[in-house]
Amino acid sequence: MIVAERKTIPELVEILNGHKKILVLGCGTCVTVCLAGGEREVSIISSALRIASNIRKLDFEIEELTIERQCDNVFIEQATEAIERNDVVLSLGCGAGVQAIAERFLEKPVYAGLNTEFIGVLEERGIWTEKCAACGACVLHQYGGICPITRCAKHMLNGPCGGSREDRCEVRPDRPCAWQLIYQRLKGIGQLDRLKKIAPPKNWETSLDGGCRVIIREDHRI
Amino acid sequence: MNICIFYCSNSLDANALKQNISNNEKDEVNTVSLPCSGKVNLLYLLKAFENGADGVILVTCGQNECHFLEGNLRAKKRAEAVDSMLEEIGLGKGRMIVIRKNNEGIKQITTALEQLKKDLS
Repeated sequence: MIVAERKTIPELVEILNGHKKILVLGCGTCVTVCLAGGEREVSIISSALRIASNIRKLDFEIEELTIERQCDNVFIEQATEAIERNDVVLSLGCGAGVQAIAERFLEKPVYAGLNTEFIGVLEERGIWTEKCAACGACVLHQYGGICPITRCAKHMLNGPCGGSREDRCEVRPDRPCAWQLIYQRLKGIGQLDRLKKIAPPKNWETSLDGGCRVIIREDHRI
Repeated sequence: MNICIFYCSNSLDANALKQNISNNEKDEVNTVSLPCSGKVNLLYLLKAFENGADGVILVTCGQNECHFLEGNLRAKKRAEAVDSMLEEIGLGKGRMIVIRKNNEGIKQITTALEQLKKDLS
């Protein structure tokens, strides 16, 4: 899932300063699961903004709404009336959600209430970790299902770097060395031979270096 | 002064609490009973502040005495998160107090209440 964190209340107040009628718009998908922008967080952030507004005499009028997905037209349509009756939208969706809303309401300011951090998983209660860099050319099959691009601090395709201590990364000692994990995993599934092959430099054209990416599925188009 | 007391109904006798808390012209104290202190979330506590509370007290069971095992631990963490959020908002720290019940009974609550009023005045 996409993992995000809310911006601080002072940041949000600064972003919203000067506006009166504000729609705080949540998203019921990834950011709900990572406890950043779902229905409950919409209420919490709205409540915090109302208190901040009272203290600073900002006169915010805040409406709350959460739709199933902010990155999908079908669900965005459900928010149309609420968006139109407010001056501005504070989106608690990920970066894709914020832009999807902004592109469909050209005359309405749409602001991001969250910082979108990474694609990751819930490691344990209250802890999310990054697992995927969305590089566009997955190599997980070569590394026992552990991504060296995302989980190795040096993004090494031919590791390890030699700097790890025990099984800890030298850049971030609170994280395990990805290459230690790769070795253990490949050993466990009997595929250590994969490490004998030298991986060529990665083609980053499939990632952000190639510009904004588009996928077109003609079989789904009329 | 407007104070709101959230309390775990397993840790406090509601009647005793109400009898020992007096509202007057200057002070208003509201009480909210919970099935477990772990029932509170950030929104419960923030809503109290949004609706005019100057301070909030959350009463939990004593250590290792929670009927639901870890409700009191969760409640404390959530209260700490609210305290930090209040600082972000601009109200400052110290308005969100957690009391872990001990053997003093209701006196522990009334003492904490008076101290909070004093700190906020």
